[in-house]
Amino acid sequence: MKDTNGYWTFKIRKKPLYIWILRLAWVLWLVFWAEVALGSKAELETRAFFISLSVLFVSLFVGLMWWWIGLNKHKKQSK
Amino acid sequence: MNRRDFFKYGLGSAGVVVGGSIAGGTGDMDSVSQKSDFQHPWWVKQIKTPKLGIDEQIYSRFEARKNVFGSMVKYYGMENLRELNKRSREKTRKYYKEQKPGYRLEDRALADAAWVISRQGGLNRGTRSWTANFVRTPEERGVDKYRASPTEAAHLIKTAARYFGAATTGVAKLDPRHIHSKERGKTVSFETADEPYENDTNLVIPQKCQYAIAMTVLMPIDNIACSPTAISSAGSSIGYSRCEFLVAGLAEFIRGLGYTAIPSVNDLGSSVAIAVDAGLGELGRTNRLISPEFGPMVRLCKVLTDLPLALDKPIDFGLMEFCKVCRRCAESCPSGCISYEDEPSFKVKGEWNNPGHKAWFEDSPKCLAYWQESTSGCSNCIAVCPWTKKDKTMIHDMVKAASAKIPALDAFFNSMDKSFGYGRQKSAEKWWNTNHFEYGIDTTQGKE
Ligand code: SF4
Ligand code: SF4
Repeated sequence: MKDTNGYWTFKIRKKPLYIWILRLAWVLWLVFWAEVALGSKAELETRAFFISLSVLFVSLFVGLMWWWIGLNKHKKQSK
Repeated sequence: MNRRDFFKYGLGSAGVVVGGSIAGGTGDMDSVSQKSDFQHPWWVKQIKTPKLGIDEQIYSRFEARKNVFGSMVKYYGMENLRELNKRSREKTRKYYKEQKPGYRLEDRALADAAWVISRQGGLNRGTRSWTANFVRTPEERGVDKYRASPTEAAHLIKTAARYFGAATTGVAKLDPRHIHSKERGKTVSFETADEPYENDTNLVIPQKCQYAIAMTVLMPIDNIACSPTAISSAGSSIGYSRCEFLVAGLAEFIRGLGYTAIPSVNDLGSSVAIAVDAGLGELGRTNRLISPEFGPMVRLCKVLTDLPLALDKPIDFGLMEFCKVCRRCAESCPSGCISYEDEPSFKVKGEWNNPGHKAWFEDSPKCLAYWQESTSGCSNCIAVCPWTKKDKTMIHDMVKAASAKIPALDAFFNSMDKSFGYGRQKSAEKWWNTNHFEYGIDTTQGKE
């Protein structure tokens, strides 16, 4: 995000369609496990709650790492 | 759009891409019911006849005295039963002394107290009287009796049943073979009579009563999850009390419309067989009704009537296939009374089973003996069943739908269910510190 002449400029890196589909699937996956975790908590199902929370955090972590590695690789290539 | 609709139209359609067959065969659910009536989820199929068939040559009316309560002496012998009773009393005293959670005075008082409404009725007695208790008939009001099409009448009855506490309601044409041949030493007969009546030898059901309204009542899942303790017993006793109120209220309502109504809980005939015919569920490995929405977490009751009603159809949601690979009820049964057989069969275990229908028959006296042994009854088989869920997350809907449509996944779902810790015994101590719903039941479950 850059501030040029009074405008904010967002830059979105061009990516093939399958990457966007993967990202969408990842977000849906996270939403799904968040819903399961919240539901299990409401159901007083402790083990189900912790398992779903773990899956949620592991998925979040793996996804963010993947994204971060890709971003660094891109930065190195463009230098 | 509610969560169910979202799942049906949103994720359900995504499932078409993944599973192919998921969207197929949603059944003609709307054929008789009105928009506001309860409807099973989209993955429940309506079928012509119940999946576990009947042998027409053999299936006949059952004599109530042969039921498990009547069979105990024959099965164990009087001496052994006395010994069992003695052990049970000693254990009860020991548990009181130890203040064992789930077996203390307050737990047992709760379980007993929850019977209070149920004890107001019996076969043609009190709240289960076969004739009007106090409701004014149309004649007394000086108006004509209620007249409507069978579809409208069914809608009216289902709405009233819900109001009196039914979780689900279905209507079946009464199969007289589901009605006991004898009760309380009297012959139960069908006669051309205007009103049901009882004399010294007979309990008479008018032949015009051709409709059976089957109903489920939810039991409090947090109680049953504490099985086997008095807290879980309180779960089933409050279920019976709520059944009592439901059948009493609905029967009076029907009489108030100008028709005959015979209310019944476990008496008079097989509620399970009638509920299966009325499409409320399927027969599971426990030889009890499993509902697609609530699993076995229900009590059953019924009202027989001459009010013409639109009929519901039996259902199929893949339970039989699931039970074949599951066996969780059998594994958790401390008495070993539930069958481990791969397939259901016509082979009965004893005189307490009514022969002539296919089922996983159970060794019921062992169950009853364990109730004594545990000093507080038992509901393990209800608590552990994977179809018993609180329904607060859509994963349960998804798994049930996928299981109904792709039986090949049943074994996987069952082991995941175990791994996620569902069906494990809950603490009876903690039960007293949980903020429960009224009656311990979430009345929105399965009906959003
Ligand atoms: S109630 Fe308990 S003893 Fe009886 S069948 Fe179920 S698990 Fe077995
Ligand atoms: S526990 Fe499993 S085998 Fe038993 S009734 Fe439920 S689904 Fe069927």
